[in-house]
Amino acid sequence: MAARVLQQCVRSLARPSLRLCPVSAALRAAVAPAVGVHRPVSFAADSRRTRWLGQSRISSVVVLCRQYGDLPPLTLETIKDRVMYVLKLYDKINPEKLQETSHFMKDLGLDSLDQVEIIMAMEDEFGFEIPDAEAEKLMSPEEIVQYIADKKDVYE
Amino acid sequence: MTASTRSAVLSLYTRVFRIARAWQAQTGVMSDTETERRYIVQEARSLFRQNQQLTDQESIKRCIEECEARIEIGLHYRNPYPRAMYLPPMGLATQRGRRLRAQQRLRKQAKPIYLQSHDDT
Repeated sequence: MAARVLQQCVRSLARPSLRLCPVSAALRAAVAPAVGVHRPVSFAADSRRTRWLGQSRISSVVVLCRQYGDLPPLTLETIKDRVMYVLKLYDKINPEKLQETSHFMKDLGLDSLDQVEIIMAMEDEFGFEIPDAEAEKLMSPEEIVQYIADKKDVYE
Repeated sequence: MTASTRSAVLSLYTRVFRIARAWQAQTGVMSDTETERRYIVQEARSLFRQNQQLTDQESIKRCIEECEARIEIGLHYRNPYPRAMYLPPMGLATQRGRRLRAQQRLRKQAKPIYLQSHDDT
């Protein structure tokens, strides 16, 4: 994703200057005004710092990455967990009977109005709009996960 | 119910939900905004379920028009509640004899399209 590409760029840029200015605050101050943050920076900074330290091949304590307030990247597992969680919260679905391949209309006994409500809940959860033409074809949790993975470019 | 009316009805349903998601109350008070959002969602759910079983093309079209009218009026006046209407002439006369049928006819005629699904008075 874009955040990972930027991290690679910063890593490659910062390597020669690592010895010179071992302070990440300088970099952060430089890029902070240029970035529009939507999430609290502290939360993103913590998660990013721990992941960065685990991934980096530079053996230093300094964290050299842009602290964007971005969400952690999606994986198929996380998408599936979130979709199932939202579906379990819906009151017309029985959580015990819910499987990944259960069809909304045939297995779970919902109708098209309920399916519309479910797709709206998915839109709220993942934060992007799903157009009507494609929304009415999504009839099981598996299809929803596939569709979101397509739209968000999540490959595994 | 043809495929076109089905897709029209479902797109109206999504449209109402999208409006409810981004609704702001006219008063500016946060609790009013929440109340009105919940009202819009609950009203849409109940009215759509109530009219779900209709099979007559005429009445389906009337319900679609009712939905569109309520959306337009609600967006224009920034008020999701149904717009009040006046009683027709002789609307509250007592139920006696000949006046009853004329009264009912007048009332049905005077009922605007956006109140079709409501059964009061």
